Amino acid sequence: MLIEESAYSNRWRKVSPAAKGLFALAALVAAFAAATPVTAFIIAALVAGATVGGAQVAPGRYFRVALPALIFLAAGCLSLAFSIDWNITRGDLLIQLAPDGLHTVAAVGARSLGALAALLFLALTTPLIDLVALLRRLRTPEALLDIMVLCYRMLFVFSTAVHDTVTAQSARLGYATPRLVIRSLGGLVANLTLQVWQRAHTLHVAAQARNNDGPLRFLQASFDNAARDLKIAFAAGAALVLLSLWLR
Amino acid sequence: MMSTMNERPTATLLALDQIRFAYPDGSIGLDGCSLAIRRGSRNALLGANGSGKTTVFHHTNGLLRPQSGQIWYAGQAIDYSRSGLRRLRSKVGLVFQNPDHQIFSASVQEDVSFGPYNLGLDDATVRERVAASLLAVGMSGFADKAVHHLSFGQKKRVCIAGVLAMEPELLILDEPMAGLDYRMQEELLAVLDGLHARGITLLLATHDIDFAYRWADHIHLMRAGRCVASLDAPRLADYAGQLSALGLPLPAVIALQHGLMRRGLLAVEQRPRSCAELLTMLETARLGKGDGN
Ligand SMILES: Nc1ncnc2c1ncn2[C@@H]1O[C@H](COP(=O)(O)OP(=O)(O)OP(=O)(O)O)[C@@H](O)[C@H]1O
Ligand SMILES: [Mg+2]
Repeated sequence: MLIEESAYSNRWRKVSPAAKGLFALAALVAAFAAATPVTAFIIAALVAGATVGGAQVAPGRYFRVALPALIFLAAGCLSLAFSIDWNITRGDLLIQLAPDGLHTVAAVGARSLGALAALLFLALTTPLIDLVALLRRLRTPEALLDIMVLCYRMLFVFSTAVHDTVTAQSARLGYATPRLVIRSLGGLVANLTLQVWQRAHTLHVAAQARNNDGPLRFLQASFDNAARDLKIAFAAGAALVLLSLWLR
Repeated sequence: MMSTMNERPTATLLALDQIRFAYPDGSIGLDGCSLAIRRGSRNALLGANGSGKTTVFHHTNGLLRPQSGQIWYAGQAIDYSRSGLRRLRSKVGLVFQNPDHQIFSASVQEDVSFGPYNLGLDDATVRERVAASLLAVGMSGFADKAVHHLSFGQKKRVCIAGVLAMEPELLILDEPMAGLDYRMQEELLAVLDGLHARGITLLLATHDIDFAYRWADHIHLMRAGRCVASLDAPRLADYAGQLSALGLPLPAVIALQHGLMRRGLLAVEQRPRSCAELLTMLETARLGKGDGN
C-alpha cells in the first residue's frame, strides 16, 4: 500500500504515463548498457534522484519500499562472491572468495541496482490504472488487462473484507486464546471463499445490468501535456543512455 | 397479442403482471407481484427487509426471469433474447444497493464509461457523457481518482453516474439514500429532481417513509414478495393500517397535520407533504387571520 499511496500523491501524478514508462525503459537500457559498475551505479543514483527529487517521493518511503529488494539483492551478491567447497573425504567445509567474485558482484549488483531504480521510479510515480491505460494503448491483449483491472479492484474489496471479518471476530473475542485463533482463522477462510464466489457472481450480474456482453471497455485517461512530457522523457532517457555509453 | 398491447394505456411504462419467482435455494423472492409504473412519474417502493424489493428490480432489468407472469415495458412483453435484453437494458438503468457490487473498474471515470461503451457509443460521446454525469452527481473533481480511495457515499454517487451516463428512460435505484449523510441526501434529491424535470421516470426503494411521502408521486407497498398496495402519495394517510402491517408508521407530518386539524388550526383539505410545507401553510393561515381582524 506504500507504493499505492506514493503513486497517487507524487508530484508527477499528472505526467503522462507514456512519458514515465519511456524514461523507466531508458533507465533500464542504460543500466544494462553500463560497461563498468561505477557507471551503472551513477545511473541508479540519477534515477533514484529523479524519483525523490523530481517526483518528490519521500526518501524514507522510497527506502522502505526498496529495502526488501535490496536485502534480496545483497543475499544474491554474497552467494555470488563466495564459492563453497565441501570436501566429503576430509569432511570439512571450505568457504572462499571466488576467484573473480568481487568483480562479478560489483558488475551484477550495480546493474541490478540500476534496474531496480528504474522499476521503482515507474511504480512509485504511476498508479496502476494509468499503467493499464498505457498497456491498453500499446495493444496488450484485452483479456490480460481485464484480469489485471479486476484483480487490482478485488485486492481492495478483499483487503476490506478480510479487515472487516477479522475486526468482527476480534470484537467477539474470536482471537482471545490460541484455540480460538485457529477456529476464527478457519471461519475467516470459509467466509472469504464464499465471498469470492459471491463477488464474482454479483460483478457478473452488475456487468449485465449495464449491458455488457463481451470485453470490458473503459475510457482512457487523457493527459494534458502528453506530447511535451514525452519529449522531455525522451530527452532525459536518451541522456541517460548516452551517459552510460560514454562513461566507459 | 395486439389486443393486449392496445388495452395497456401508453401512460404505463413498466408493468409487472403476477410475477412469481423463487431463488434456486427455494426461498420465495416474489409471490404473484403486480406493479405498474407510469411514464414520467416518481415512484417509491416501500417494504420491510426481505420483502422482495431488490428482486423486483432485478426483474425490471432482465437480470432475473420470472418463473410465471409477464413483464411489460412500454406496452411490449419483455423479449429475453440477446438483442431484446440489450434494448431493455439500454432503457432501464439499475443502480445497485451495494456500490461494491456494481463498480468494477479501479478508476472513477473508467467505471462511469463502462455502460456507454457497452451501448456502442464512440469515444467522443462517451467522454461527453462521463463528464456530464459526473457533473450531475457532483463528482467531477474525482474523475481520475481510484475507487478504493472514495467514501461509501462517494462510491454511491459514482454508481449513479455510471447508470446516468447510459441515459435511461427509467432509472431504478435500490435504497439510494442508505448510508448517505444529510447533505449528500439533499444533494442526491436535487439530482433526482433534475432527472425528473428531464422526463426520466424514477423508481426507488427506501425505508424512509417521510422521504417517500415528501418526494414520490406514487407509493407502492411490498410485503412478502407481493405489492399489496399502489397509491397516489397524497392519499397515504388512508393507508395507515397497511403501513403498520409492514411495520411502518405514518409520516410524522401526517400525525402533526391530524393533531392540528383537530384543534382547528389547519383546514381539512390541506395536505402538507413535509414539515416545511406545513409550516408555510400555518404561516399563511395566521397571516390570513391577521388581515381579517
Ligand atoms: N440470492 C438469493 N438466494 C436466495 N434467496 C434470496 C437471494 N436474494 C434474496 N433472497 C430472498 O428473497 C427474498 C426477497 O429478498 P430481496 O433481496 O428482494 O428483499 P429486499 O426487499 O430487497 O430486502 P432489503 O430491504 O433487505 O434489501 C428474501 O426472503 C431473501 O431472503
Ligand atoms: Mg434489497
